[in-house]
Amino acid sequence: MIEVKNLKKIYNGNAVLKDVNAVIRKGEVISIIGPSGTGKSTFLRCLNLLEQPDGGEIWIDGKNILDGKTDIAAIRRKMGMVFQSFNLFGHLTVLENITLAPVSLLNKSREEAEAEAMKLLKLVGLANKAHALPGELSGGQQQRIAIARALAMEPEIILFDEPTSALDPTMVNEVLSVMRSLAKTGITMLIVTHEMRFARDVSSRIFYMDEGIVYEEGPAKELFENPSKTKTRAFLRRIGMFNSTLNKADFDLYHFMGLFTEFAEKQMLDAKQIKTLHLVLEELLVNIIFPEIELAELEIGISEETKQSELRITWHGSAGNPLESASEAGELARMIVKKRTSSSEYSVLENGVNQLFIKF
Amino acid sequence: MKAVFDKNANSLTVSVEGSIDTVTAPELDSQLQANWEGITELIMDLAAVDYISSAGLRVILMANQQMEDCDGSMTVRNVNDDIKEIFEMTGFDSLLNLE
Repeated sequence: MIEVKNLKKIYNGNAVLKDVNAVIRKGEVISIIGPSGTGKSTFLRCLNLLEQPDGGEIWIDGKNILDGKTDIAAIRRKMGMVFQSFNLFGHLTVLENITLAPVSLLNKSREEAEAEAMKLLKLVGLANKAHALPGELSGGQQQRIAIARALAMEPEIILFDEPTSALDPTMVNEVLSVMRSLAKTGITMLIVTHEMRFARDVSSRIFYMDEGIVYEEGPAKELFENPSKTKTRAFLRRIGMFNSTLNKADFDLYHFMGLFTEFAEKQMLDAKQIKTLHLVLEELLVNIIFPEIELAELEIGISEETKQSELRITWHGSAGNPLESASEAGELARMIVKKRTSSSEYSVLENGVNQLFIKF
Repeated sequence: MKAVFDKNANSLTVSVEGSIDTVTAPELDSQLQANWEGITELIMDLAAVDYISSAGLRVILMANQQMEDCDGSMTVRNVNDDIKEIFEMTGFDSLLNLE
């Protein structure tokens, strides 16, 4: 369906895409992962010529769209795009946003376009919002509308450019859930994402981009479980780290758990594992750490291979292992933490910083 | 967290839904206290509780204690596997009358 050969894109003398080669077959769901600034979004934008490449070839259905003779509008009609920032028209209703392009570009009658739009709104679970303005909807709802709008053009492929990156963590799942359903319909999808669990679950293949090329590619399971190249392994290991500064004075448990859940889902932990970690973190932070410590640094690492977690809390000041405290108030919490963890170790580092290290 | 109270003479049934955690446990406690008067039988239905932390356990323990203090009885009903695991881990399964 799409074949990319030696694609190049240079910004201000900096080659963002150096030599991208890829084949995307009909019906594939491909997630593009990799560190920031490695050209993932640029690659996507080059495919539908939102960015003009500086070299190479993009073959779509047997035509090189960079040969200067291609009807760009026709190419774009084949490719829907969902952006990070929704890009809905704020002065138009949801229904008008979805029907605008089918009426003006596909010459559909308004009635036909509206009937189709209502079907798509049902698909994304927002049929009751047809007459709302985008500003009246949450970020997650707006992104679901943007997906419906892309589908209304009956594209052969949909490009998703970090569709959940601009969303509040609580709204990410509703968008991913719509995308999961879409992936099952057989439509070709190319998704730039940082949602690793999602990428692994829905993708037929993964492109890992680094150094301006598709550095490693392969079936999702294989690439996540057994990446063959060092940089891919390092990336997958690095993303398995959650850091947070814990300040007792302004600690918001639900906000913290929202951020942690987002991280844990990216690490592909299942619901039960996440619930267990929630419990340990709530007990540890609220009932064991904060009664004794005002400010601490938290680091949680999750092994890509075993899914085991390691937690490290460091703090200045009051020495002593909080898990061995004699306070009666924290007794129940300490019991829960100890029963839920495999080992713990308290130490004072050379610089006088206290460290509590816990393995789950 | 949502708690629905059904009072019938001296018997009070509390059906709790959602998470009983640090944030919601005080709310459950105050709602319990507001419905306490004249109660000699308390039934806590936890069928729809999907998460409980020590803050929630303390509310349940205090309610149990309060019922014992006034020669009443408390029963905890419909405990799902996740919550049962926490009860067993903390010894609450032997402290409470589970049904």
